[in-house]
Amino acid sequence: MIAFRRMDGRLMTCQHCDEEATVHLTETVGGRRRDLHLCAACAKEAGVALPDSPPSLALDSVIQSFIVSNVGELVGELAGMTCPDCGIKFMEFRARGRLGCPHDYRVFSGGLLPLLLRMHGATRHVGKVGRSRPAASRRLRLRTQLREAIAREDYELAVQLRDQLRHKDADA
Amino acid sequence: MNLDDLTRTSGEWLRGTGPESDIVMCSRIRLARNLADFPFTNRASRGEKLEIETNFKSCLGSAGLDLSYFDVNNMATLDRQFLVERQLISRELSSGEGPRGVAIGPQENISVMVNEEDHLRIQVMLSGLSLHEVWDRINRLDDQLEEYLSYAFSPQLGYLTACPTNVGTGIRVGVMLHLPALVQTKQIDKVFRALQKINLAVRGLYGEGTQAFGDFYQISNQQTLGKSELELIRILTDVVPQVIQYERTARQVLMNERRQHLHDQVSRAYGVLKTAHTISSEETMLLLSSVRMGINLGLIDDLEIATVNELFIQTQPAYLQKIQGNELGVEERNVARASYLRSRLGNGRHFESE
Repeated sequence: MIAFRRMDGRLMTCQHCDEEATVHLTETVGGRRRDLHLCAACAKEAGVALPDSPPSLALDSVIQSFIVSNVGELVGELAGMTCPDCGIKFMEFRARGRLGCPHDYRVFSGGLLPLLLRMHGATRHVGKVGRSRPAASRRLRLRTQLREAIAREDYELAVQLRDQLRHKDADA
Repeated sequence: MNLDDLTRTSGEWLRGTGPESDIVMCSRIRLARNLADFPFTNRASRGEKLEIETNFKSCLGSAGLDLSYFDVNNMATLDRQFLVERQLISRELSSGEGPRGVAIGPQENISVMVNEEDHLRIQVMLSGLSLHEVWDRINRLDDQLEEYLSYAFSPQLGYLTACPTNVGTGIRVGVMLHLPALVQTKQIDKVFRALQKINLAVRGLYGEGTQAFGDFYQISNQQTLGKSELELIRILTDVVPQVIQYERTARQVLMNERRQHLHDQVSRAYGVLKTAHTISSEETMLLLSSVRMGINLGLIDDLEIATVNELFIQTQPAYLQKIQGNELGVEERNVARASYLRSRLGNGRHFESE
């Protein structure tokens, strides 16, 4: 890892807290160049670093090969599809066997339903019925927008979104 | 409740009571549940996992549930291993990262893992073959939690889970069986193949992918979508009695045709466990399995089945180290295990540990 130093030779500190910055990003947003220096924890919080890697992917290899063989070679639309809420690509699911959020079942239904049919011999739930709480699913969308706003450093929007989330939490 | 309290008790499911408990160690059901407004655990940020954990803990309070919460993230490795041995958490939760934990009920019948592969993995266990009672309890608990938590649920696909193998009911109905005679008479593979044909999975004592030890096998459903919870339970309650019958027949054959040999094997196993001064975990499991069958066949009459059931768990590495109060290497554990076995099996006489 490269330690970034300021002009005066001191170590670069995180822009959000006083820890040493270990994640350094330079990106162009709306034609403007922007430098971001964050510690590992803040980078994770801001969504610019990958979330905690799954432990050893203790995935049953049987399930894994089942998914790969039944999803087959991906062509066209499905191959490039990304969930707008959790950012997972269908290809990633195919490789890792885990979905990213509840909305994936809708976003990737074209690829998942044939898989469910082979796995369970069915594509329709029979059994206990959970309560429907549509507000909760809207909060998932808000959370995504909040993560993105923080990553863009659009704090004004982030505050608004956080308030909306609090509001909805109180409603729930 | 704290972890040290657990070392002084043992789970209700080891008590060796309930229907068919000579062969059925315990019945267990787990439900996979996720909160609708968060990404699944593998995709959640540290902050989001913390929120999930906080929501769950406050739900425990609001619902007035008598469960003690343990923070696994800040727990010593030995304690995590101890919870795995007791079947209260999975290896995956133990080796995971970030905010996560487990809520445990009195008598260790209930455990709810937080931020495992799914946000919640609810588990209820009872000794013997008692799946309907387990279902009643877990269904009630699930309802109580849902009063305060918004589950990810779709009318078409049911409870939504991180892995599509669990979607729908999110249920795994399992029965843990002790099948030493089927192993000895080499019929166990035949039974496994038959179970796999009807879509039932067979696993060892410690769940997915682990080798069966102590001749314990867990039979469970694989399908979770398209059949109701009660239909899936019925498949198990139809099939398990047949497996029990095969095991009983195999035991009878051993008793009729090789009684001397069997009696000798059981007595030697008991003798070694009572007198050894160093013993490995594998050998202990093997011998305890013989002793357990020996008690059920009336070949040993001075030992409780509950004691043997407990010893399968209490001779595991983490438990031995917890009661010793310090970490032990393999050799030291083998000595500590033998000493512990002598003290538990010494017909009420307590041997000094050297």
